[in-house]
Amino acid sequence: MQNKPTGFANPWLHLALSIAFVTIYELLLKLGAVQTAHLSQRWSWTGLTGLASLYTWVAIVFVILSLVTWLHVLRSIPLSVAFPISQVVHALIPLGSWLFLGESITTFRGCGIALVLLGLAVVAKPVARFEERL
Amino acid sequence: MTTISFVIVLIALIGHVGGELVLKKAMDASNVVGFRSRKFVAPFGAGILLMTVQFFLGLGLLQRYDLSFIYPFQGLSVILIIFAAAILLREKLTLQLTIGGALISAGIILVSIS
Repeated sequence: MQNKPTGFANPWLHLALSIAFVTIYELLLKLGAVQTAHLSQRWSWTGLTGLASLYTWVAIVFVILSLVTWLHVLRSIPLSVAFPISQVVHALIPLGSWLFLGESITTFRGCGIALVLLGLAVVAKPVARFEERL
Repeated sequence: MTTISFVIVLIALIGHVGGELVLKKAMDASNVVGFRSRKFVAPFGAGILLMTVQFFLGLGLLQRYDLSFIYPFQGLSVILIIFAAAILLREKLTLQLTIGGALISAGIILVSIS
């Protein structure tokens, strides 16, 4: 039987870190995008003008960190299990947008977030089964 | 949302799903053949390329729309990835995963149209 990865090698820890990094970089990217939105209407759709903001570069560091942790997750957890769990970011990002960027969360949007969390609760059972096998 | 923005969202979505699938393939291969084999390098390079394309397209979209409006479109990738992983990577598809994935996607769509 394979040894269960523990400590920093634990893929679930990396999944949690990846989720945190994604939430942080998305909020930073929005700040960078807002800061550079006026630069060029012609090229703004490529996203490259966003590189003029420091927020974007800090976000890129978090993108790399999230990618590294995510790759570690993919080495041991099936994509069809890890990916749905990682989608908790869809609840965390709107909450972060509300908390840090002053964006609004309507009742409708709140219901959507609740559905995401319900979906995660349903997915948790196959995850627990996989964890037993790990 | 304009037609061009919708097309960019679609390309970013396809890039995301495709990128996740080839990266998973690469990391599975790394467990068997290590990090120097072509079986790892080729899908890894393709995955990074797809993720980079979808990253910059996403950044461009963020310059025009609220983060809480644009990001949830990526949520459609949940159900797409669950099925694609079952079909292309032969991962086990359970009823709970399908229902959970559908609920997450529905929630994300609800968030994005609100």
